[in-house]
Amino acid sequence: MKAPDRLVDLFVRLRGASGTERLLISLAALFLSMLVGTVLILFAGLLAENGQPAMSVFGIGFAYNPLTIFDKLFLGAFGDPLNPAFRPLQGEFAWIIRPGFDPLNGQFANTMAETTVLLFAGVAVAIAFRAGIFNIGAQGQLVVGALATALVLLPIAPHITGPVGTIVLLTLGLLVGGLAGGAFAAIPGALLAYLEANEVITTIMLNFVATSTALYLVSTHFKDPNSFANQTVALPDHATFPSFIFAARQDFSVLALLFAIVSLVAIWYLLNHTSLGYDIRTSGIQPDAAEYGGVNAERTILSGMVLSGALAGIGGAVYVLMILGNFQVGVPSYGFDGITVSILAGNNPIGVGFAGLLFGVLKSGSIVVDVGTDVPPELVGVLRGLIILFVAMPEFFRMFGARIIPDSQLNGYDEVTDDE
Amino acid sequence: MSESSLRSAVSTFHELGIRAYVALATVLFLAFIGLVGVFNPESSLGALFDILTDKSTLASALRLSVPIAFAALGGIFAEKSGVINIGLEGLLIIAAFFGVYATDVTGNVWIGMGTGVLASTLLSGLFGVVCIEYKADQIIAGLAVWLIALGLAPFLSQVIYNGPNTESVSSLQSFTIPVLADIPFFGALFSASPIVYLMFIAVAASWYTLNRTAFGRWVIASGENPKALDTAGVSVSRVRYAAVLLSGVLSGIGGAALSLSLGQFIGNGATMVNGKGFIAIVAYLFGNYNPIGAMLATLLFAGLEAVQIALQVGDVFAIPQSLVRTIPYITVVVVLALVGHTRLPAAAGDHYESGEE
Repeated sequence: MKAPDRLVDLFVRLRGASGTERLLISLAALFLSMLVGTVLILFAGLLAENGQPAMSVFGIGFAYNPLTIFDKLFLGAFGDPLNPAFRPLQGEFAWIIRPGFDPLNGQFANTMAETTVLLFAGVAVAIAFRAGIFNIGAQGQLVVGALATALVLLPIAPHITGPVGTIVLLTLGLLVGGLAGGAFAAIPGALLAYLEANEVITTIMLNFVATSTALYLVSTHFKDPNSFANQTVALPDHATFPSFIFAARQDFSVLALLFAIVSLVAIWYLLNHTSLGYDIRTSGIQPDAAEYGGVNAERTILSGMVLSGALAGIGGAVYVLMILGNFQVGVPSYGFDGITVSILAGNNPIGVGFAGLLFGVLKSGSIVVDVGTDVPPELVGVLRGLIILFVAMPEFFRMFGARIIPDSQLNGYDEVTDDE
Repeated sequence: MSESSLRSAVSTFHELGIRAYVALATVLFLAFIGLVGVFNPESSLGALFDILTDKSTLASALRLSVPIAFAALGGIFAEKSGVINIGLEGLLIIAAFFGVYATDVTGNVWIGMGTGVLASTLLSGLFGVVCIEYKADQIIAGLAVWLIALGLAPFLSQVIYNGPNTESVSSLQSFTIPVLADIPFFGALFSASPIVYLMFIAVAASWYTLNRTAFGRWVIASGENPKALDTAGVSVSRVRYAAVLLSGVLSGIGGAALSLSLGQFIGNGATMVNGKGFIAIVAYLFGNYNPIGAMLATLLFAGLEAVQIALQVGDVFAIPQSLVRTIPYITVVVVLALVGHTRLPAAAGDHYESGEE
């Protein structure tokens, strides 16, 4: 990178009160979403038929208790580590972790597995958003990557065995997933770059195409003959991610999580310390200025989109190689969760790590909520939208903040916060 | 025809650009299928001809047009006023659910319609506040509206009906004009749900409102040159609120009609709305923000969907169902690629600060 560019880059980062501000906005958005979620749970409790009141306020019986729900949502995802005898508010103290708690429990493994896939989905969306491209098609790209990985590995896996076989097959599987996802994303990428076709619409339409095509291929050509469900036969064990630390029956591999974290750091490095990353960021902030400064707009759009699709495709490959062990139609909506993860993280790859974990907890916790209470797991779907809505309106929080702290006290800080 | 009128017809054709070519290609293709159908009725194309000329195909195309056309009209008003409403899909979903729920509770389809419209209008109002008052990025706020509805409708359905799909309720009955309904093919126009008639009225009314009324001029000015509108003493944000709320009302009619014509809300996967809100956006872009153009584009997409359904049922080309189902979506992508860069209203997507504050 040339020296003047470095200087510009430094200024962009130094303007950095915006980083803290973004974090505050994300936290506030999260808090507000929970608040609205609480109201929704109470309201849903009123609508629920034949529900027994779990709590009552002012004589109105509510079928669901929000505290129980959020307790199950967040702590359930870790396998309920808290000791029920630990009640500091009542003055009863005991060891905070309940006796017999296994930190490597199945629910926690599930949380980490969900997190791993979400990290890829989140960073896929983040890199596109940073380039100023609204890639809503991470879902479709993830499905295509997952399907391609399964279809390529299935015929060759039996022929390459042993530890070396595992390394070869996993590398190949991730590579195929990335290539397939990237190629599928190249369609809306090229349509946007060269024909100016709105990428929001094309990527959403291609999500439908991906789902239907996967259904067609799996139900007609690659169906497991011994199963009623639309799924392929299982990959042999040596073609899937090996388990370390966690028990083998749990669908989580620390190796895959490490790979995800390394990918996040790599994308962070690419964005901040390479010329492609510089092109992507400047195109995202000021497309006209970037083009004037010599950035090839078409090529940047295309490469941003392909990179995004490749990451989503790798997420799909990890989903097949770690969680499923084959391909099944009806892939969970990781791609849409990825949008929330990325927006919550301010489209920052490192932030995606934390937001991804939070969403992994929500997804896994929603299953605990579903089993333990009558509140449906779709609650997380609502939170997903609410979080995006609240993060999208920083002005709301600024006005709110301005009301608490009068302008006079903020003199001198104005320049920092205003040009965000 | 004199030479000059021929020349003006040709120049109109060129002005319409890609739209005219798509229309011409569609007509030629239909004529080709017609010829094959007449001379070789036994072939696959002959069977396709039968489907295309069947009264029930037109009827289902009209029914499928309703949600797309209403959402497209709503989208035109919002975007013309400068607020890109990409959350139309969410408005359709929320109206579809509440339409059925209120019908279930009250037993009256029309109260159901009204409640669906109300729900969609409230959600569009929230979207309006977020975009206009709190200056959110319109695309991201629109995505949020979609995702909220996509989560909320199945959530409520699970809470109330213990499943993603609601129970069946009474549905909208079609309204038949005797004698006229017996005309081959076009008879479908005279035996349809009242909402289908309302759709044609709404298209005409929207065209009139945009082109012939003061409100229409304000909406266009608010999107093209908000400063001028402000100078003329009309509040830009009020006009934008009105346009966004109008998009909620119109989408609400479309969404409630979608579920109430079936008498059930289906909340699996992408729900029964299944991308219709996004197809509506393409319909009005293809129609160049003209309500009549948007209606024609809607008929093209809905017609394809109707033929696609008939092909699945009739098993004509022996193409698997799951692939036939992708035809409308692929067409939308192709159309969008052909239309390419659309001229957005100049101030679309921008916030407007009134100087008075």
